[in-house]
Amino acid sequence: MQIEITHQPGNSAARVSLQAGETITAEGGAMIAMSGHIQVETTTHKRDKGSIMGALKRLVTGESLFLNHFTSNGGDGEVIFGTALTGDMMQFQMGSGPALMVQAGSYVASAPSVDMDMSWQGFGKALFSGESMFWIKLTGTGPVIINSFGAIYPIQVNGEYIVDTGHIVAFEESLNFEITKAGKSWMSSFLGGEGMVCKFIGQGTVWCQSHNAGSFGSALGPTLKPH
Amino acid sequence: MQITINRNGENHGPYPLEQVREMLANGSMQPNDLAHYEGAADWVPLHQVPGVTGDVSPPVLESTAPTPTATQESFTPTGEHEHEFRVECKPDFAYLTVQIPANQTLKVEASAMATMSTNMVMKTKMKGGLSRFLGGENLFINEFTAQGGPGEIGIAPGSPGDLEHYHLDGTKEILLQSSAYVGSSMGVEVDSKWQGFKGFFSGEGLFLLRCTGRGDLWFNTYGAIIEIPVDGNYVVDTGHVVAFTGGLQYGVESVGGLKSLFLSGEGLVCRFSGQGKVWIQTRHPTAFAQWTFPFRPTKNN
Repeated sequence: MQIEITHQPGNSAARVSLQAGETITAEGGAMIAMSGHIQVETTTHKRDKGSIMGALKRLVTGESLFLNHFTSNGGDGEVIFGTALTGDMMQFQMGSGPALMVQAGSYVASAPSVDMDMSWQGFGKALFSGESMFWIKLTGTGPVIINSFGAIYPIQVNGEYIVDTGHIVAFEESLNFEITKAGKSWMSSFLGGEGMVCKFIGQGTVWCQSHNAGSFGSALGPTLKPH
Repeated sequence: MQITINRNGENHGPYPLEQVREMLANGSMQPNDLAHYEGAADWVPLHQVPGVTGDVSPPVLESTAPTPTATQESFTPTGEHEHEFRVECKPDFAYLTVQIPANQTLKVEASAMATMSTNMVMKTKMKGGLSRFLGGENLFINEFTAQGGPGEIGIAPGSPGDLEHYHLDGTKEILLQSSAYVGSSMGVEVDSKWQGFKGFFSGEGLFLLRCTGRGDLWFNTYGAIIEIPVDGNYVVDTGHVVAFTGGLQYGVESVGGLKSLFLSGEGLVCRFSGQGKVWIQTRHPTAFAQWTFPFRPTKNN
């Protein structure tokens, strides 16, 4: 499997070359083009482990409920993935390192050797944050494709670091996090428009996006037709 | 007059005026370097020293405008083309400028003209009539004529993205998703009444223009453009189809099985077969519009 991220950073697409028999799993709706002989199978959650619970979890996370599995049967092939929003993509190689926690809306695709799990960690905390703070936990070995709204940049955390919840794309599970307030008091945090932020503790990498999709959506909202 | 130069806290010289002028000319000194000359009260920028700037251009202020980034590419045709043109700010914000010889005319998508010479005269033509209207497209293609002398027109497509040029040689045919049309030379026939593509009128609003004849054709994308050589069989999400060469066979279908049709989120795809080229776009306006839906206000009643 070869992954090439093209047209970075604004209009990025991921071009995945598959060898005969290889499979790549992707978020529903991410495929924009592919070789004619690629076979597509749609499942809930993870292939062979499809369950109602898995589907429900995905529903709760605000992600599309289903995953598509693209298999290049009968020869080499390719699949091209894109996103709805303007922004960059990143390829991440899972290996012996810690698990990768990916914000649900940032997951694009992964190799079948990468295990996906909807983590419930932080659910209670996230509930109050006003943002969809749900994570897909990725473990195992193999490539993962992640997208961002705007540019994507890594921050090496050694100790403590604060990131606005809407700007987190992914982080290594070696980091602990707690949801906290940006200002000294809750009142100033909310009046300051920052609301709640995520404080990372420990050692590891956090990948951030330059723009907050929720803020952009809120800015567009008043100009859209009511429903 | 002897002049001492101070650069980065280090004194150089003193040098005679003649030598300072030479050093300025060859770039080994800068007009903004600090200088002190006999009789002067204080250090001044070198260009303010009397006699120095005789033939030296005034200091260039540091520009605050951002320098173009590496991704801003420009394109001028090297292959076959009818009109001279250039595409700037590729690939994210492609913008087309076409040179029109005296008394010649260019067809341009309605409302896409951004700049033009004063001798360009516009005429609005209804193109394609009702079928183009049904396609959800602008009803009009405008014709711009360079009257009495050569002219220039700058064309900015509605969506931010890339722009592609294709030269039709009289034997080829390009099928274009109607919103991708940017402009064409007069020798290119743009046929929107053509209904050979029944399967394509498929909920995605993909209405096709059939471009034949001889001359230049420009089309644009939302997002980046990817050119795919098809040899055999290739599948593209209908919303990401921009254009394809006329020799290809095509059909609309769903991906995977019945379950995938409703649950995959992929909607309908177009399967191309044969030999030719397909151009696809990496973004999809409808997908973006759908993304904004949850942010819509609710009616208060």
